[in-house]
Amino acid sequence: MSTRSDVYILAARQISVQPPLTDAWMDAPVRYDAPYVQAIDPDYRQHFAPNEARRLGKILKRAMLTSRQVMAATGIANPDAIITGTGLGCIENTEIFLNALVREGEELLTPTHFMQSTHNTIGSLIAIDAGCRGYNATYAHKGTSFECALADAVVQLESRRIQTALVGAHDEMTPGYFTLLKRTGYLGHAVNGFAGEVALSMMLASARGENALCRLRGVEMEYCPYDGEALRQALNRLLQRAQCSLDEVDAVMTGVSGRQANDQVYASVCSRLFPNKKLLRYKHLFGEAYTAPGLGLYAAAVCLGRQHIPAHLLAEHAGGEQRSAGNILFYNQMEGKNHSFILLSPCGK
Amino acid sequence: MPKEILVSGGGVISALGAGKEATLTALRERRTGIAPVRYLQTAHTELPVGEVKMSNAEMMRALHIPEEEVSTRTSLMGMMAVREALEHARIGGKEGLRVALISGVTVGGMDKSERYYLDFLENDTKNAYIATHDCGACTEMIADYFGVFSAVETISTACSSAANAIMLGAMLLERGLADVAVAGGCECLTKFHLNGFNTLMILDREPCKPFDAHRAGLNLGEGAAYLVLEREDTLRRRGAEPLCRLSGYANTCDAYHQTASSPNGEGAYLAMAKALEAAQLTPRDIGYINAHGTGTVNNDLSEGVAIQRVFGESAPPVSSTKSFTGHTTSAAGGVEALIAVLALQHGFIPVNLNFALPMPELALTPATDEQPTAPLRHVLSNSFGFGGNDTSLIFSRV
Repeated sequence: MSTRSDVYILAARQISVQPPLTDAWMDAPVRYDAPYVQAIDPDYRQHFAPNEARRLGKILKRAMLTSRQVMAATGIANPDAIITGTGLGCIENTEIFLNALVREGEELLTPTHFMQSTHNTIGSLIAIDAGCRGYNATYAHKGTSFECALADAVVQLESRRIQTALVGAHDEMTPGYFTLLKRTGYLGHAVNGFAGEVALSMMLASARGENALCRLRGVEMEYCPYDGEALRQALNRLLQRAQCSLDEVDAVMTGVSGRQANDQVYASVCSRLFPNKKLLRYKHLFGEAYTAPGLGLYAAAVCLGRQHIPAHLLAEHAGGEQRSAGNILFYNQMEGKNHSFILLSPCGK
Repeated sequence: MPKEILVSGGGVISALGAGKEATLTALRERRTGIAPVRYLQTAHTELPVGEVKMSNAEMMRALHIPEEEVSTRTSLMGMMAVREALEHARIGGKEGLRVALISGVTVGGMDKSERYYLDFLENDTKNAYIATHDCGACTEMIADYFGVFSAVETISTACSSAANAIMLGAMLLERGLADVAVAGGCECLTKFHLNGFNTLMILDREPCKPFDAHRAGLNLGEGAAYLVLEREDTLRRRGAEPLCRLSGYANTCDAYHQTASSPNGEGAYLAMAKALEAAQLTPRDIGYINAHGTGTVNNDLSEGVAIQRVFGESAPPVSSTKSFTGHTTSAAGGVEALIAVLALQHGFIPVNLNFALPMPELALTPATDEQPTAPLRHVLSNSFGFGGNDTSLIFSRV
């Protein structure tokens, strides 16, 4: 559609297992050799009043702080939309209430943890904090929670319903829930991989501004547990809408994590759809989580913004670092069911 | 609205029964579905609830699902409602259409998690239910039962989840990103929710009395409801019949408090005003408001203030059908959108049960007469969630 607006990623901030609120991982990534790593939290006392810091769970403090910093960095104090992706929401509060319910019965419960247990607590607290009365939505769809949020923002930006959107990817991982997801095989069994935590806020806008990281040229999702060919069509839809050919894609970033069953899907799709492309990865630095793709997209956006892809993001056997970065296709999937493609381009193009 | 979004089907299950017919009959006969606890295993038997009057085994039989298959109560209710919606719209998956499923849910598979949580922590016997705990798993179970969906998304904005799903469905259709959207929500009653709301002290020990001066809280319910939405071009190509039009929608945030609504109902006011603007309608065009109307002191006053701010002294008939279904949380936006569509189709006002005395603060008396004062052309449905996630939808006659 010719009338659709462009979309830019203006800025992004993260709190994860890499040093918080910086892009330091570009030059000096922290490496881990453990099945489960919690985020490196900044000193919240510098950012929150003591009672607020105590009252809010970790996922909420991280989400509020990354959001505040992105709003400050872009000068957009009142985005038209606040859209959040979270796979498990406020799982720590949920666990505390559930534990009390199961162990102590139905008579002695208190409301504190229940009140901050719903997934949309994150997005609404950001709105309350910033006084934003615009569109506010939360997506919770396993490994594509972030892309659902991103796609909502892109749909509204492209159609000019909104001009700015604060999009977030937020997931905390507690020791208890790590145990549970280890049982299902999702976490803790990866070769050279680990479970991480995610807090990522990014500002999207239809106007480029002066310091935009990159252009976001489309998001396409496909639910196709049974049909591989549908994926090729989804990719073609994305490229057609962006008026970009596959030849113009310089690199593909995927969510390979060392978990064999899931990585095999990546291997199979990559060899079928883009056999000769340079492959990038991010989960070896940021870990696995439902909204880890948020951190991956952030990493790709930073590479485009700096026109530099560090060697440590390249999948094995792919050569050394790169002093420039062209179009990056981001491909994510979980267990071969829900797939997503995102196309990023340098701002100049 | 850039493109006409039409409603071509709907499906529902709630305390009023399975299906639109049962729902319509109960509404018109003023027969509430709120009753003493029967299915949920809880100590709080003193609390009236709006349960779906089917066991999980009965739903599985109705869906021809083998009893040993892993499922949750929420996903089963979702399947029941989506099946009715697809059959109603005659979507079978062979039409070469890109069909999206957008489902709202909040605690997903919590019914099983609260039963098996100690097993989850201590052994491997119930791992299948760890995998069904999260919201996305609930939606994927529904999607996989039908196998006709090529886009599947889950929204979780608490009690406005289903309304936001319907809104997203419309936006995807307008942008040509889907041909058909099946959008709504589902949520079963759980001890987690019942006790959570109970600790907030907002559950009425009696059947709820929305918009009454002596209202004392809500009754929790459960259910699922989905609308089938499509653009006019798709509908015409298929030769399908529209039930009505989704003419306007808006999502706003009250940005006031995590679990309470603002005294001036700012979020609700903005949602209704923006939905009217999107539909290019004036307040006078609206013939019926299906309110969020939970029956809590806080919501009904805040929403009532917002309604008066938008509609002035001459508000159209307003009712909360939560007096029939209980508060079906994530499903509420779907159940009540569907009730609003039924009202439009059949030309009646779903009444507000258990009303006796107007709220002293407002000149707002909920509807107790099912006869509309003028033929219904446009109806508005409100859904508000924790965190001030407020959404209004407007449906119009074709």
